[in-house]
Amino acid sequence: MMALESQSPQWEWYYIAGYFFIGGVSAGAYFIGSLLELFGEDKQRAVSRIAYYLAFPLICITPILLIGDLGRPGRFWHLFYSNGPGMPYMNHLSPLSVGTWALLIYSGMSFISFLNVLSADGKLRSPALAGFLNFVNRLPHKIYAAIGSFFGFFVAGYTGVLLNTTARPLWAATDPLVGSLFIVSAASTGAAAIALAMTWNKAAPRDANVRLELFDRVALIAELVLIALMIVIAGQFAAPLLRGFYGFLFLGGTVVLGILLPLGLNWFGRKPANAGHSMVMLTSVLVLFGGALLRISLVQAGQL
Amino acid sequence: MNAKGMFVDTSICTGCKACQVACKEWNVLEGEPSHFEKRPGYPYTVAANFSGRSYDNTQNLSATDWRHVKFIEQFNADRSEGRWLFSSDSCKHCNNAGCLNACPVQAIVRTDMGNVVIKQEVCIGCKYCIPSCPYGVISFSERTGTVHKCTLCNDRIHNGLGTACAKACPTGSITFGEVEDLRKKADARLAQLRGLGYDKANLYGYHEAGGLNVFYLFMDRPAVYGQPEQPVVPQDRLFRSSSITVVTAIAVGAAALISFRERGMKEQEKEREKEGKRE
Repeated sequence: MMALESQSPQWEWYYIAGYFFIGGVSAGAYFIGSLLELFGEDKQRAVSRIAYYLAFPLICITPILLIGDLGRPGRFWHLFYSNGPGMPYMNHLSPLSVGTWALLIYSGMSFISFLNVLSADGKLRSPALAGFLNFVNRLPHKIYAAIGSFFGFFVAGYTGVLLNTTARPLWAATDPLVGSLFIVSAASTGAAAIALAMTWNKAAPRDANVRLELFDRVALIAELVLIALMIVIAGQFAAPLLRGFYGFLFLGGTVVLGILLPLGLNWFGRKPANAGHSMVMLTSVLVLFGGALLRISLVQAGQL
Repeated sequence: MNAKGMFVDTSICTGCKACQVACKEWNVLEGEPSHFEKRPGYPYTVAANFSGRSYDNTQNLSATDWRHVKFIEQFNADRSEGRWLFSSDSCKHCNNAGCLNACPVQAIVRTDMGNVVIKQEVCIGCKYCIPSCPYGVISFSERTGTVHKCTLCNDRIHNGLGTACAKACPTGSITFGEVEDLRKKADARLAQLRGLGYDKANLYGYHEAGGLNVFYLFMDRPAVYGQPEQPVVPQDRLFRSSSITVVTAIAVGAAALISFRERGMKEQEKEREKEGKRE
């Protein structure tokens, strides 16, 4: 019998693929929000605000998933501190190690942005926090938005590089495109999450929704192109992703329901400008659903 | 550094599995959990899930099987013709080790003798080293919550002994020593076999993954023995993969800014007005 050339880590879909998705939505929302804060016009502040409201609570879920996956959860702090040399530790050859640090910094930046919008909206009035909030509000917005934006992209993309930097046949054969695919998917799901939250709140300036959908459309088309390229370069190794259960999730869920249908609804259906709230919500939910299935199918099919 | 390693000459392996047993005994490795199950009516666990179609029962390396004698059984349908090939497999202690590169917590280290060891008290069980090994050597243990593999008998070799498997091998198929000396021995053996007409005989592990400290003499192509012909250390692709991702990130950022640009909006509105007129 031929041995497998590399073994499967047997990561559970609800831990690692779940983290890839939720982390991607949070990071995508954050980098859209912070880019608009840095370079956008005042009109787009509404989008930034919603993005910051989403990014931090979502990223709070992810340590639970990541630590839950560990064989020894109580030792998670080894990721940051090595007893050997007795100092903070990072392995620059390991996307997992670098990504952990990026996630930590990103969480910090998204926390500051979160507090900032909370206090700006007058939702944090506790006198106990006043001193702290004063301090936070005095931090230069642009600087932590820039740092957060950079690490947001990092968190969105490193997970794909992490998969590509292995010897599993599917993940190795799709190198070097999964990082790009995950960044584009983070952008589309992040934009969809913002659109969904704005519509839900009925807080959406019509203009913002149109722009979000425009951006989402660009991201979805890029995603489609990257998926096609990825399948071509993977050749025979793409089989686990195209056949069987994960083929069904990937082709049926991600490609058809998560990309083609939302694109179709935008293009051939009603024009986005005239789209009602329910249409925005439907397309957003479809895009998020497709993004989740993209992570699940790629991570799990690579382990077959 | 005079790295220590092993030379596995598969041409004289008889498939006796003494190395597998010696490894289990010295390293106090329990039975492979997936090979035993509880059955109603039996007070003890019953052997199950062995391959059942080969003399090779364990089939692969695992957290409790650090050595595995591969049985390559090539027979025709009526078994009138065929051949056996044996190869005792283990961690190869690569000089460019994918597992060591991937470990985020410095649990996988190289000792002064060149062998790659997992520090059990440091490993967090993230399992990222498992897909990072191009040979599929490392495995996760549910019992300890950490990963395990051959240590090249780290305790023995640091106390002047050879590895347990090499000690137990009755034919001299596995020899322990300094890699430099072992290579001379391997070269001589290859020349001898070639001289006898075994043209397919080849040495595996001089160049793969930066050179393997545990290397092999095979009687057929490495793929026949289930070894990758061109193993790629995953981190060799890291730079390219990261660069392409960075370029994409910049493009996505630019797309976001353009989508929200004021001018683009006005053009859109103009278009919409035109469409309105047409309707």
